Amino acid sequence: MKHTDENLPEPEQDLLHIRIKKLFYEDLELVSNIDLKVSQGEKILLTGSTGSGKSSLLNTLNLMNQSYEGEVLFLGKPVTEYTPEILRSQIVMVMQEPWLGDGSVSEVLDEALSFCANRKRQSQAQKHLIVELFKTFQLPEDYLLKKAEQLSGGEKQRVALIRAMMLQPQILLLDEVSSALDQTTSGIISDFIFGVCGSTVIAISHDPLWQSRWQRRWRIQDGRIHDNGGN
Amino acid sequence: MDISYWGLFFSMLLLLFPLAIFHQLKLKLTKQLLTAFGRMIAQLALIGIWLQLLFEKDNVWLTLFWVLIMLSNAVITLRGRIKFQRRILVSIFFMALGVASLIVMPWLLFVVIRPQPFFAATIVIPIYGMVLGNTMNSCALAMERFEGKLSDNWKAYYTRISLGASHWEAALPAFQQAMHISLLPRLLSIASMGVVSLPGMMSGQILGGASALVAIKYQMMIMAAIFSSVSIADYLAIRLYLKRRFDQFYLPRAEPKKKPRAGAKMSAQTG
Repeated sequence: MKHTDENLPEPEQDLLHIRIKKLFYEDLELVSNIDLKVSQGEKILLTGSTGSGKSSLLNTLNLMNQSYEGEVLFLGKPVTEYTPEILRSQIVMVMQEPWLGDGSVSEVLDEALSFCANRKRQSQAQKHLIVELFKTFQLPEDYLLKKAEQLSGGEKQRVALIRAMMLQPQILLLDEVSSALDQTTSGIISDFIFGVCGSTVIAISHDPLWQSRWQRRWRIQDGRIHDNGGN
Repeated sequence: MDISYWGLFFSMLLLLFPLAIFHQLKLKLTKQLLTAFGRMIAQLALIGIWLQLLFEKDNVWLTLFWVLIMLSNAVITLRGRIKFQRRILVSIFFMALGVASLIVMPWLLFVVIRPQPFFAATIVIPIYGMVLGNTMNSCALAMERFEGKLSDNWKAYYTRISLGASHWEAALPAFQQAMHISLLPRLLSIASMGVVSLPGMMSGQILGGASALVAIKYQMMIMAAIFSSVSIADYLAIRLYLKRRFDQFYLPRAEPKKKPRAGAKMSAQTG
C-alpha cells in the first residue's frame, strides 16, 4: 500500500501548499493568513474549537468549499485548475458518519471504483489490496457480502476507510472519523494511519487516544493557525 | 351525434349528486367545484370558437402560431407547478418540450399520417395537444422526482463526489429513479390498454363516427408518439437541469434568497 516512487512529487515541489488569506463561513471570517506546506507522507492533526474553521479548511483542500481568498496548490498546481473528479480521487475525504448506501459492502466498494476518475485503479492488484485492507482493519472477508446497513458504526467507518484507501489517494482527509467509535476500533484506525498508510493524512480529531502520535499539529485559535512544524 | 344546448345543460345537472354529498359531509369543495366547472366551460367555449376558426381557415401560419402558443402555455404551466429553481427552469422546459415536439410531430405528419395538406389544422392541433399535454405532465413529475431524490440524500451525492465521481456519476442514481418513476406507470397503462378501459382518443374518434379500425390505428400511433416524446423530454430536461444545477466544482448552486438544504447540512459539519 506504500506509494511507489513514481507517485512522489518533484523534490522541489510540495505535495500541498495552502496559501489562504481569508477563510470564510458565509460572511464570517474564520481564519486569516494561512501559509502551510505539506510534504509526502506527513501525518497532521488539525485541532481547534467548534466553529473555528477546521472543517472549512479541510473542505477547501478537496474543492468542497469555495469560501476563501487565496489558493491551494496541489503538486504545484492550484486545486481549482484540476478537473474536480481527478483532484478528489487524489485527495479523498472520509467523514464522521460515512454514507455507504443500501447495497452489500462489495457493491459499496465497487461503486467508488466504477467512477471514471478511478477506473485506472481497477485491476488484479485491486483484489489483493482489498484483502490487505480487510486484514489491516480487522474485518472478516465475508463481510463483503453483508449489507452495509447491517454493519455497526465502527464497521461502517472502517468500510468507509477501506473504500477511500482503495482509491490509493495521495492525501487522506479525515473529519472526526473516530469520534463516535469505541476504543478498539479507534485504535485499529490509528494503527493504520501510523502504520501501513502511505498516504499523507490530515485529520480533525478530538479523540484523546489519537492525540499523542501525530508528528505535526495545526491548531486554529483566535482566527490564526499555529503550526508546530512537525516537531 | 350532436348534443343540444339543453342536453348539455342537463348533463351539468349530474353535478347535483356531488354537491349533495359535499353538503352532507360538510366538505369545503362546493365553491371549488363551481369555479372549476365555470372555468372549464368558459375556457372550452373560447377554445371551441377559436378552433372552429382555425379549422375553417386551415392556414399553415395560423396553425403554426397556435402550436407555438400551446408550447408556451405548457412551459408557463410547468413553471407555475414547480416550486424550486424557477429561475433556470423556463429555458430548460422550453428546450426539452420543444426538441421532443420537433422530433415527434414532423415524424407523425410527414411519415406516418401524411395528411393533405401536411399542416392540416384538424390533424395537427388535436394530436399535438395530446402529445404535449402528456409530455408536460411527465416532465413536471420527472423533474420533481429528480430534485427530490437529490435533496433527500445530499449526503449520498457529496460522498460520491468526494470519492471522485463527476456530477453526472453522482446524480445518476437520482436520474435513473426519476426516469423510472415517470415512465413505469405509462408502460403499465399501455399494457392494460383495451382490456381495462377504452382510451380517450379512441372513444372520441368512435363517437365522432370513425370506424373502430381507424380508431385503434390512431390509438397505437399516439401511444408510441406520446411515450417517445415523454422519454425525450424527461431525459433532456433532467440533463439540462443537471448541467445548471451544479457549479464547476459539482457543488449545488444556491438558490437566490433561500439557501438549499445542502448548505445547511454542510454548515452543521463546519467545526
